[in-house]
Amino acid sequence: MRRCYEQVSVGDTLEPLTKGPLTIAHLMRWSAAMENWHRIHYDRQFAVEHDKLPGILVNGTLKQQFVMQMLREWAGHEGWVWKVGFQFRAMNLEGETLSVWGRVTRKRETKQYGLVDVELGIVNGANKESTPGTAVIALPYENGEPVPYPFIAPMDEGGNA
Amino acid sequence: MGLLTAEIRNMVGAESGLEVACDPVERGAVRRYVQAYMDDDPIFYSEEKTHSLKYRVPVAPPLFPMNMFRRPPGTPDPFAGRANDPHFDGIVDSTAQGLPPLPLPQGVGLLNAGTDVEVFRYARHVETVTAKSRYYSITEKESSKGPMLLVVIETEYRTEGGELLLRAKKTQIRR
Repeated sequence: MRRCYEQVSVGDTLEPLTKGPLTIAHLMRWSAAMENWHRIHYDRQFAVEHDKLPGILVNGTLKQQFVMQMLREWAGHEGWVWKVGFQFRAMNLEGETLSVWGRVTRKRETKQYGLVDVELGIVNGANKESTPGTAVIALPYENGEPVPYPFIAPMDEGGNA
Repeated sequence: MGLLTAEIRNMVGAESGLEVACDPVERGAVRRYVQAYMDDDPIFYSEEKTHSLKYRVPVAPPLFPMNMFRRPPGTPDPFAGRANDPHFDGIVDSTAQGLPPLPLPQGVGLLNAGTDVEVFRYARHVETVTAKSRYYSITEKESSKGPMLLVVIETEYRTEGGELLLRAKKTQIRR
């Protein structure tokens, strides 16, 4: 699907992405793919008794992937997820189901493409926010050129051109 | 007493050397990665799909370069001798992105506070990726548990030919 700048309005919500329940098997699989052997992500005894955590922690790097996936799927292959910021404000634990959400907060135009600002986050089943953040997505104009790839940022926003 | 000494303040701007990932972008590593975070987008494996898109060839996910800097073959096993250490937490990689460590008092911990990334293109399968980091900023704040440092490390991930893939700023809390 081609999503164009003109089709988007401030206040629009992005299609949420839900993952889980996340079991120890999910977290071990991610740790292995990352070659990250931090025991708080798969060793319950170490996490609880040694590090005094409430349980096995979901990796922050895994949550980052979920955010990127939701944004990419919303932007489509003709858009470009340029900037993303994440803050790790709260822990998520094994067994939780996580939902990534996003909402358009601002639109602005550049010569080649439109930019859409998004606020985002990750909530668990209790609707508790853990990973607030923001993103900037470039979308093509309806009758415009494709967003350049590799991406060329606008010069007035610290561009790389 | 604060943590931000003149010696630490002077480390803002200090750079790492140019690190080269020990393996290029491997198809199998990409498969394990996307399966682990449960993303079936064919751009990560299908030449047929990517041929008609701007990517042209299969690519790695946007943040994949950040996880390519692993223990090279022939280097000492960090697990060796730790089997009976009940305090070994399993962390075996540098947390300083190849930068000289900050001269902080013993016992000062580290928390990852967040990451800001800018993505310019996706790494292609078989591409070699490099990384270069610098201390972007180091500031001190007072928290309920005493002084803490906010350390921002900026890393640029590029292809072997120097093309910018990704710029990441990781914020660490040291207290």
